[in-house]
Amino acid sequence: MITRHTSLSRNIVHFCRFLRQKGFALGVEEETLALTSLTYIDYSNRDVFRIALKAVLCRSQLQLQEFDELFTHYWKEIDKALDSKVQTKAKPSLKPGVNEASFKALKSWLNGNKHEEEEQTASYSFQESFSRQDFSKVPADELQEMMRIIKALSRRLAAQANRRYEKTIKQTQPDLRRTLRKNMRLGGELLKIAFKKPKKNRIKLVILCDVSKSMELYSAFLLQFMYSFSQVYSRIETFAFSTSLQHLTPLLKKTDFAQALQTLSVQPTSWSGGTRIGESLHTFVTHYAQRLLNKQTIVIILSDGWDTGDVKLVQESMETIHARARKIIWLNPLAGYTAYKPQVAGMQAALPYIDVLAPVHNAESLQKLSQWLRL
Amino acid sequence: MEAHKNLNNVTLADIRSLLLEQGYITDESVSMSLFLSLQLNKPLLVEGPAGVGKTEIAKVMARALQTDLIRLQCYEGLDATHALYEWNYQRQLLHLKMVEREQQSVDEKEQTIFSDQFLMKRPLLQAITHSRKPVLLIDEVDRSDEEFESFLLEVLSEWQITIPEIGTITATHIPQVILTGNRTRELSEALRRRCLYLYIDYPDFEKEWLIVRQKVPQIDARLGEQICRFMQQLRQMKLEKTPGVAETLDWAMALTALHIDHLDKAIIEQTLGVLIKDWHDTRQVQMSLSELLEKTGVYSKLDNL
Repeated sequence: MITRHTSLSRNIVHFCRFLRQKGFALGVEEETLALTSLTYIDYSNRDVFRIALKAVLCRSQLQLQEFDELFTHYWKEIDKALDSKVQTKAKPSLKPGVNEASFKALKSWLNGNKHEEEEQTASYSFQESFSRQDFSKVPADELQEMMRIIKALSRRLAAQANRRYEKTIKQTQPDLRRTLRKNMRLGGELLKIAFKKPKKNRIKLVILCDVSKSMELYSAFLLQFMYSFSQVYSRIETFAFSTSLQHLTPLLKKTDFAQALQTLSVQPTSWSGGTRIGESLHTFVTHYAQRLLNKQTIVIILSDGWDTGDVKLVQESMETIHARARKIIWLNPLAGYTAYKPQVAGMQAALPYIDVLAPVHNAESLQKLSQWLRL
Repeated sequence: MEAHKNLNNVTLADIRSLLLEQGYITDESVSMSLFLSLQLNKPLLVEGPAGVGKTEIAKVMARALQTDLIRLQCYEGLDATHALYEWNYQRQLLHLKMVEREQQSVDEKEQTIFSDQFLMKRPLLQAITHSRKPVLLIDEVDRSDEEFESFLLEVLSEWQITIPEIGTITATHIPQVILTGNRTRELSEALRRRCLYLYIDYPDFEKEWLIVRQKVPQIDARLGEQICRFMQQLRQMKLEKTPGVAETLDWAMALTALHIDHLDKAIIEQTLGVLIKDWHDTRQVQMSLSELLEKTGVYSKLDNL
């Protein structure tokens, strides 16, 4: 009985290691927890055993989904090993790396086939030059790294925009706590009154991202940016458009990124098709502007301005948005080139209503966004 | 019923029957997670779409353990004063006014006004000073700010709260904590690691039908079945706000109150507002109603009559 006991606990520790290879963040604490939990259940019942380990070891919905398969896989291997009296080790089945041109890699990544491993050893200087790398020229093997940088950067950016500030001029509400403290030494007579001001940040963001053919090389990165940003910053509404407009907010806020991308790729909106900026903006104006736009809202449009639709609609819609919103920031990946002039018809029509026209071709340019994100 | 009081003797089967007794229809993973979180004394993080009964778990848990439920509703901007404690300033002021003429030193006065009777306990402090082990429900934790989340982490690991004027208060009983989230924001890894995790999805047809029968016992069997089938189909659609079990129950109750014994297109159209609460969705559902009904099998059933 005792030997059986030890082999079970050893197997559980091994199983935890196996899960760790599969991306579960399990430490000694979790291993201990898993072992402790066995004292409370009837572990001779395979199903009870599985559900108990599942309850203790999983930390997210994704892990819950993966767990059953991994569990079966692992214990099957163990059974096999017991039968043949040969130690088989659980093999971490690494997918072959994507070694094709950057474009193809990006596409496959978009479809959710991401690398299994995530390197976290990038040095500072490496990042430095990396953040100036144009999105359209990111080599395949550095795709993950770029995504990681954008993720970190957008989180930082969102946190910055999120920071609550206190106004110092207006005196609105007396701060009872501080007032009382201040006047304690005066025998409880209220002579000095302290004031507090509500910390607030009312900036709302609306981001419209162009995902048409001409933006293909950039849109994956920009979506990552939008996704990570909306994870931290809650006052944000996100949209994607090519030939029509699609509301992304619920999707980007609910699911994890890989899952979100997968859902997006099966949506009816023709991704990577032609662009009809005018129609898309018009849809936005008729369906969402009333509700989403006010003078505390900054609208960010991520597009190269290539338009195959009605240019007049662009102009009209931009006018409405301009009138309702606080500020319009147009981020154009092409504006990163020194020789760039906004000569495309769509861009020309929109130009009079744009408050800020800035490039968005590399991580550095995204970082600079913070200077515009205030009222 | 002795098992209720002594937690260490609770078995998995007990939890299962307790949940059932309280009218909570569930599956193995829910009772296992509840059981282990009780035994291991770990907080339980429950995630899942809106309206699948996440909050209900805590209520049932409290009823099952015959203890009190203390609830902290999170929202954006929630801070320590709303979660922990606040001094009753007005009362302190009044008290100072009243003892103005008495020969008390400033220090003495200070001591009285910073005593227990002037302290307003907010949920977290309430939970750790409670006379018996309570169930602490931290609802929609993902709505709070990240700062609050880290603060919560501290409380959940130390189980003590420091009030500058009084000192450190250590928990008399460590509460049974249940956190719920809608995934409006990704929670931090640190908080996840502190908890056991449970994901509750929309129920399948059999489970939902059981729930409806349990909560609306007077319902017509055919109507109930049709409602559940319709809901299963409705959730397949890509809606802005997918209706949960709460909506199913509302609908079932509404239709029963109207003495309706089967679904048809007109009835659904008239009562859609009970289920769908977004006008985009309403339009979408109205347009594909015939298709939905066909999938639900409502028409074929009527033909058989």
